[in-house]
Amino acid sequence: MRVCVVARLSNIMAEYLKVNPDYQDRVKELFENDTKPEITLEFEIEEHDFINSGKGSAELKLTIKRLGVDPAIMRRIAIAAYEAEINIAAHSRGGAMRSNIFPDYVHIVFKDMGPGIDDLEQAMTPGFSTAIDLVREMGFGAGLGLPNIERNADIMKLDSEKNKSTQLDVIVFFQ
Amino acid sequence: MAGKKYYHGFEVVTENCTGCTACVRVCPTEAIRVRDGKVVIDSNRCIDCGNCVSVCKVNALIPHPDPLKKIEEFKYKVVIVSSAFAGQFSENIRYKEVLASFYKFGFDLVFEESMMSDFMVKLIREYVRINKHIRPILSSNCPAVVRLIQVRFPSLLPNLLLMESPMGILAQYYRDRLEKEMNYKPEEIGIFNVIPCIADLTATHQPEGTRQKLFDGAFSNADMYNEIMQILNSGDELDTDFESYAAGLSWTLSGIEADLVDCKDIRTLSVNGIDNVKDVLSKVEDHYLDQYDYIVIRSCKNGCVGGVLNVENPFVAMSRIKKLSKQAKKIDYDDRGVVELHKQGAFAVDPIFPRSMMKLDQDIKLALVKMKKLNEILAKLPGINCSACGSPNCFSLAEDIVQGKATLDDCIVLLKKTKE
Repeated sequence: MRVCVVARLSNIMAEYLKVNPDYQDRVKELFENDTKPEITLEFEIEEHDFINSGKGSAELKLTIKRLGVDPAIMRRIAIAAYEAEINIAAHSRGGAMRSNIFPDYVHIVFKDMGPGIDDLEQAMTPGFSTAIDLVREMGFGAGLGLPNIERNADIMKLDSEKNKSTQLDVIVFFQ
Repeated sequence: MAGKKYYHGFEVVTENCTGCTACVRVCPTEAIRVRDGKVVIDSNRCIDCGNCVSVCKVNALIPHPDPLKKIEEFKYKVVIVSSAFAGQFSENIRYKEVLASFYKFGFDLVFEESMMSDFMVKLIREYVRINKHIRPILSSNCPAVVRLIQVRFPSLLPNLLLMESPMGILAQYYRDRLEKEMNYKPEEIGIFNVIPCIADLTATHQPEGTRQKLFDGAFSNADMYNEIMQILNSGDELDTDFESYAAGLSWTLSGIEADLVDCKDIRTLSVNGIDNVKDVLSKVEDHYLDQYDYIVIRSCKNGCVGGVLNVENPFVAMSRIKKLSKQAKKIDYDDRGVVELHKQGAFAVDPIFPRSMMKLDQDIKLALVKMKKLNEILAKLPGINCSACGSPNCFSLAEDIVQGKATLDDCIVLLKKTKE
């Protein structure tokens, strides 16, 4: 049984939708989008592998730079992707990130192999963390990961089933 | 900026090039190719770090500092000596004698970069405190780092400390004073610096953000070292009756600047060596290092003592500078004049613009098409990154092919397979 689903729009996005209501359908479609992305980047993330985690977002960042996306937007993508990638390494039994790049936005899907999030609202609260000591010793686990992702994404969707898996969707538009 | 012609502190001597690709492999911005057996530099991407110059064994890439005789063009000659210069001399030579030799050489005034060390600590702390909304602030003293950020990390340009370097401040202050106080016309006063690296040569002739002319030329530590050694060996009497500011020399070492700026409310980090610099800048981009208020970044290992225009090994030079700095009597430089100018905003520099050479196309949609094509080509390439094609690795060859600058036939490994 699914515990909770949170889909949030950034303030910028919410404002944008007020001005461009037509776009609302487009946003809804994004999650059911079955058009083939122009480019897909895939990375496996192992549990507690802090040496290699971060490489997926680094690769995505390089690709985004090569596409010539505005530096400020590039940085938002980098932050959201890096935080989410570290989250999988720190809190899950491992997982993968898949970045689907479309002409006007990137949709990054982070999917792990559990154990799921107990309380999504709590997880979204700045400063709240369930990180174990090992993770904190590595300098992670400050409880700012998800709120930070939310701040930098245009659209963020968090979908978790307790004792099963968590899927995080992040969408950032290029303009 | 589009169409801007970039100056570089070194030149390519094509006839000396053997096409060995040593330079191609050490370039941090992938700006170098070997085409038709000869080295070609992408001027827009080159950040003047000097890595290629230091690995070239056949003198195909050579620094071009200004010739020392350039001082003869001026009636009144001023020199500002970089701190790294002090580390080039063995310990039986007194630092004051080194400075005195500059007068003997023909300069009318000799200043040391180290005079500014205390003032720089004040200036940086003030800047970091005022710009609370920007974290971390990145040091802008190393011109190669500034250019690396322009080319590869343009989103971090707002984080740069937008202030002149210590030598730039000295040049500006004394030019201002000399023009007002001396009976020389502005064009009769020549201000030169003596510097450790290619990036400083470039920054002297084409500074980023600087609002006015600072220097009339740049001399290399190595060229000046030879002259000074000759004077020292000549046995001529030297007048050493002046103050020197050896205590501030260690500022030039990576780590010391960070330690000096670090205080209760300012946490600092120091990073040097171009690979570590790239790694740290990438982490800053990810907001992973926001806990630092100020990061000292130097392209060369150990800081400016690692520059390619030095004659001494960077570790030896570092040790000597530390010793000189420790043993020196601390003399406070009277910085009232500099502080006054600073209050008028004289040392601020203009915002620095991106030189984003990474994008495949100006149009994202076309860039995507090229990226897809690039990935298809990459899948065909052997992936051993041998550089034999003249591009640094398989990815950049794929990029070159997409941009029409190379063909699949450039890959020697593929060519061999086709023949088999």
